[in-house]
Amino acid sequence: MKKVLVACGGAVATSTVAANKIRALLKENNIDADVSQCRVSELGSKVSGTDLIVTTAKVDKDYGVPVIHGLAFISGVGLDKTKKEILEVLQ
Amino acid sequence: MQILQYILDLGPTVMLPLVIFILGICLKQGIGKSLRSGITIGVGFVGINLVIGLLTDNLGPAAQEMADRFNLGLSVVDVGWPGASPMAWSSTIAMVAIPVAILVNVLMLVTKMTRVVNVDIWNIWHMTFTGAIILAATGNFWFAIIGVVVHSAFVYKLGDWFAPTVNKHFGLEGIAIPHGSGTWSAPFAVVIDAIIDKIPGVKKVNINSSKIEERFGVVGEPVIIGAVLGIVIGFLAGYPVSDVLQLGIQMAAVMVLMPTVVKFIMEGLMPIAEAAQAILDKRFQGQQYYIGLDPALLLGNSQVVAASLIFVPLTLVIAILIPGNQVLPFGDLATIGFFVSMAVGIHKGNLFRTVISGAFIMSITIWIANMMVGVHTKLATDTGNISSGQVASLDQGGAPITFILKELFQLQNLVPLLIIGGIYVFSIIFTYVQFKREKI
Repeated sequence: MKKVLVACGGAVATSTVAANKIRALLKENNIDADVSQCRVSELGSKVSGTDLIVTTAKVDKDYGVPVIHGLAFISGVGLDKTKKEILEVLQ
Repeated sequence: MQILQYILDLGPTVMLPLVIFILGICLKQGIGKSLRSGITIGVGFVGINLVIGLLTDNLGPAAQEMADRFNLGLSVVDVGWPGASPMAWSSTIAMVAIPVAILVNVLMLVTKMTRVVNVDIWNIWHMTFTGAIILAATGNFWFAIIGVVVHSAFVYKLGDWFAPTVNKHFGLEGIAIPHGSGTWSAPFAVVIDAIIDKIPGVKKVNINSSKIEERFGVVGEPVIIGAVLGIVIGFLAGYPVSDVLQLGIQMAAVMVLMPTVVKFIMEGLMPIAEAAQAILDKRFQGQQYYIGLDPALLLGNSQVVAASLIFVPLTLVIAILIPGNQVLPFGDLATIGFFVSMAVGIHKGNLFRTVISGAFIMSITIWIANMMVGVHTKLATDTGNISSGQVASLDQGGAPITFILKELFQLQNLVPLLIIGGIYVFSIIFTYVQFKREKI
């Protein structure tokens, strides 16, 4: 079971869109994962045990796990590339 | 007509699920998915009403006690954007405001008045809120629609003007941020930045710290903000220790639960959001357009994070210092960075300048939020979000655009309108000039 943390500024708008699309993507590819949402400010304390962080905000900090910029889930630009990156980390 | 009135009388927790279900069917989402979306949005409303109840029933009386004991005015709790947005969505104007805001965008794109393609349906709640406030104040549906149109057109223009900042400073190419609390406050920051540039000595001060997050990062976490505020206010209210501790944990719970329940409203809106995005994407894409997105994208930037941490205590201090202020900042504190996020870009990451312009922005915000308590409470009561007490919000209840439009339709505060309106209009014109000179 993989753990994915999806973060945005307020844990409501953009991260919900991204999290729903990531859940669908992982289901399509038969990856068993727990996808949860949080605010960017909570990443530091929630990161332990996580395999991947996807943020819609640009994050400069290093959390010790792979961070993928998930803006494509919102804007639709470069979506295939982002999906591939996520699958590479989790497979 | 009778059927329509019957449905309206059912209240937002039933009406909106019905509307979303029907819209889902119209947008060819299938019965199962539409049903799920509809019920999910209802779940969101039930959830947020519970959480706002927890907030106003517990923190409200404590704040009142504290206010009475220390002669502090802070007795009206700020429910924040997680509390204010459901009020906008559950206003009778919401389902008209969404298509209106999209239509304004499309018309402006077709007539080349903006380059911003706003695909972010969630943040239409800001424009909807302006309409809902005008509706609550005047009872006139058409005034409310005019408010939504003016607010929408204005923020799409702001999106254009600040797109260079978003692209260059934040490195988000092709993105504009046409709404939310970060962008409306940015014209103030443009003026303050220009003023600081003229002051010898002060103009050289540049603080740019990434250490703040390392040292104080935990302070910015919602659970900590909630617990600390709950404990401090319980203590100041003269509660016994057992009640103080309970209030602390309850407020930590409010901070965590607010986005968790509001998220369901967003999930329910997804079919509409996806359909709107598909339509806009098909017609308007390519180099000459910006994709309009949520200011949440800026909140990961380390200087914005640092400013957010500074502004949690600073906003509380400002709230205490403003004469006659009743609003106790709470719900917006965990995301206070929204207000100063664009300012950080305008000041090119200089925290010293961000603190100065941010302090000005928060003062104006709290001043407005305080004048809006009456009409905000009326909106919250009309939509069934609260049954007693008073509410306020910094985001969007403290925004100049909402305040100015509301006052134009129902004049209650002439002098503040002239002062805030004067400064704001000047800042907007100045911003436009700076944009034309390519200085932002």
